[in-house]
Amino acid sequence: MKRVVQITVNGVDRTILAEPWCSLLDMLRDELHLTGTKKGCDEGDCGACTVLLNGQPVTSCLVLAHSAREAEVTTVEGLAQDGELHPVQRSFAENGGLQCGYCTPGLIMATVGLLNENPDPTEDEVKFGLGGNLCRCTGYSKVVEAVVAAVESSKEAQ
Amino acid sequence: MSDYKVLGKNHIRVDALDKVTGHSTYAGDVYLPEMLICKVLTSPRSHARIVGIDTSEAVALSGVRGVITGRDFPDVYFGSGALRDRRVMARDEVFYIGEPVAAVAADDEITAVEALSLIKVEYEDLDSVVDPVASLTKDTSVVHPDLEDFEGYGFALGGNNCTMLDADRGDVDAAFAEADHIIEETYHTQPIHQGFLEPMACVANLEANGRLTVWASTQGPYQVRQQLASVLDMPIGNIKIVAMEMGGGFGAKLRLALEAFPALLSMKTHRPVKLVNTREETFTLNGPRLETNIYLKTAVTNDGRITAREARSVFDVGAYLGAGPNSGVGHGLGAYNIPNFRLRSYGVYTNKIYVGSYRASGVADMTFAVESHMDVIAHRLGLDPLEFRRMNALQEGDVGVSGARIPRHGLAEVMDALQERMAQPGNGPDAEADNGRMARGTGIAVGEWRSGSGPSTASISVNEDGTVGLLTGSVDISGSDTSLAQIAAEVLGLEMEQVIVAKRDTDLAPFTGPSGGSRIVYSQGKAVQMAAEDARDRLIALAADRLGVQPDAMECEGGAVFVMDNPPQSFGLGQLARMSLSSRGGPIIGTASLSSMPYNPVFNAQGAEVLVDRDTGQVRVTRFVQAQDVGLAVNPMGVEGQLEGGAVQGIGRALSEEIQIDPGTGQVRNPSLATYLMPLAIDMPEIENVLVEVPSEDGPFGLRAVAEPPGFGPPAAIANAIYDAVGVRIRTLPLSPERVLAAMQGREPEDYGMDADAIRAAEA
Repeated sequence: MKRVVQITVNGVDRTILAEPWCSLLDMLRDELHLTGTKKGCDEGDCGACTVLLNGQPVTSCLVLAHSAREAEVTTVEGLAQDGELHPVQRSFAENGGLQCGYCTPGLIMATVGLLNENPDPTEDEVKFGLGGNLCRCTGYSKVVEAVVAAVESSKEAQ
Repeated sequence: MSDYKVLGKNHIRVDALDKVTGHSTYAGDVYLPEMLICKVLTSPRSHARIVGIDTSEAVALSGVRGVITGRDFPDVYFGSGALRDRRVMARDEVFYIGEPVAAVAADDEITAVEALSLIKVEYEDLDSVVDPVASLTKDTSVVHPDLEDFEGYGFALGGNNCTMLDADRGDVDAAFAEADHIIEETYHTQPIHQGFLEPMACVANLEANGRLTVWASTQGPYQVRQQLASVLDMPIGNIKIVAMEMGGGFGAKLRLALEAFPALLSMKTHRPVKLVNTREETFTLNGPRLETNIYLKTAVTNDGRITAREARSVFDVGAYLGAGPNSGVGHGLGAYNIPNFRLRSYGVYTNKIYVGSYRASGVADMTFAVESHMDVIAHRLGLDPLEFRRMNALQEGDVGVSGARIPRHGLAEVMDALQERMAQPGNGPDAEADNGRMARGTGIAVGEWRSGSGPSTASISVNEDGTVGLLTGSVDISGSDTSLAQIAAEVLGLEMEQVIVAKRDTDLAPFTGPSGGSRIVYSQGKAVQMAAEDARDRLIALAADRLGVQPDAMECEGGAVFVMDNPPQSFGLGQLARMSLSSRGGPIIGTASLSSMPYNPVFNAQGAEVLVDRDTGQVRVTRFVQAQDVGLAVNPMGVEGQLEGGAVQGIGRALSEEIQIDPGTGQVRNPSLATYLMPLAIDMPEIENVLVEVPSEDGPFGLRAVAEPPGFGPPAAIANAIYDAVGVRIRTLPLSPERVLAAMQGREPEDYGMDADAIRAAEA
């Protein structure tokens, strides 16, 4: 039976009815139509559904909607502020860190989560930090370059 | 360097902002009111007669709106290749585990899944065959006894051999009789998945006017339209395919996949129906690649000249011919001029999921064999592997396998560039790692492909503000929209921002071939170039007419058409567009259409540096270098991205990826991304690219294709590097730790039963 989930998504308080088995991913996509968060496997293997749950990157397919009650969720749609891209979004675009784009929201959210924890990662730490995200198009080189460039530009901004 | 204004410079992809903000819409992102969810019931049997299907309980389940079986479709066969050997849904017989037998549409997914469990199918098992070499050469059961009645059946041996290709030149037997050395080997490649991140998805809706709209994840909207019309027995004009953003395909999404099921269910329920595959279904419902067995025999002189090649390749196509064994012949010689050859390639049925295409189907398999074989010969003769390749390399003016003259190309240049870059120090772990346990080695391989051809169309309209709209029917799978926009901007003298690339569907855009085979920027790009030139000529003609000057005295550049001798005498493009609205010629539109493009080869030379763990057999690629002749790097950042992605797919193929097939039943045993091991960022070295630019004779602005070749060389380059490191030759993919360790311990390699004599006997 559907029960109420109260949740804050991208800064907006939401009240949603969800079945007990509904994943956070399905709730975001099917109920809120926030389709930027992608379903690549629904098994926690690909990372395309990565969102921030109270600031931590999680694969939203493995989180039950009801276990995210009262939580703050940020999806890729919530990163840009007032039409300004988040520096990580800008860096992925400018450095060719995306091709088909299906893994991109998950990679961007994983990167934002990584940089929240570790604002100045080494290249190996970046590769390890993105270890939960598969990408089939880019071969990762330009993804890693994009993350490194985002780190550099945030250092310059400080 | 070129003096182009837009071409040859890095540009942010035209779709980048939508993609980084999550606003791109993929087929699975389509939500329509009253939309139903479709799920597919598949066969649990390898080969069986369907005695009966009882759907009554499923139909009666609350929330189920429609149930279909094979008998609800018109009684027609269709084909993914040339041969019409397949029904869209099983009717009387199933030929592999995973073949669709029924589908339901329900209010939600969980109801649809429950409904599947209520459908009762009674099967009567039939004999099956799983091993493709046995299927060709031994007295096994026959997958399709009515093969010879299938439309399109032509040249083959019959039985389980559904298609065969051959090519011959010179006196092969005499060349072998006179050879100083004869090297004879067999190679085996594994079943492999395209690994696209977006599972197959579509939404179908029967509109009130009787037309069917399908929002699809496809590389080939016009191919899907044609095949859908065929299996639904519906006029092509009644179907609209909307090509949504594509989350990776690599060949898997070139043709009709599962669109017919939600389409028929929508026709029955009069509601929109959505189908999204699970990841497991991505492995079991859509054609991957299956195993290939390759026999090579080569005659060579003492001084390293190859004089003859015999090659026989057996491609497992599974239950239906999804993609043919063309590469067994087309790539049997590699990048080399071999005067005498006898090449045979067989597509063989087995009771397994049918094969699909994957980034130049079969060429990576052939390249693994041919380029490993080249290394073996070089070592046998005591020659440097690169030097041996140079001695036999194709030259301009040679005649290729197909009989086509080889035009200008950059094979020598890419080999030189690879050698030069490999001689420079890399960023990988230093040579001190080469100690008692870790062994270091390097290996190279050369890949060869062609710039893809096929029907291409484009139109360009000039807007009243001087921007232009570019319309093509091709799906962007590789950044091609950006490159096409660059071509249009270059011709018309515009900035990139002034070219608007339209999202397209099959009602809107004229026919074009599918996005595959490294085709779009070369062939479609030519159409865009021609359409832009057409628009430019019309702009100039209008301006010349109004100014009373000769058209050839005018130029179109910087957003204006002006008199070359007197630039202030000019019209802006927007001004001309507005003037054209009331001109004799009408609004300005440039169009172009072409059916094919001439053959132009593409070469890629790759080098791998590896560390082999002598204790575990683990292989780590510490450096990977590639040089490709791209003709002109239209958008260098995009070109590099394509090359890097292709190389990493090839490294995955080399080291870890394998669809495990049950040898008894043909079932896929590892349908998940936890067990099908694709490379992760942490596994990969930095890929070093060298972009070589030898202009092609026919491509727009001399460009060549990019996408396919980088995936070809890695397995052979890495196998050759393993040989260099630890002295073992591995002829089976993947180059797994188990296999490398077994080889180092001197254990016999697996025998896949590839018997050239038996195949020769079957031919006779």
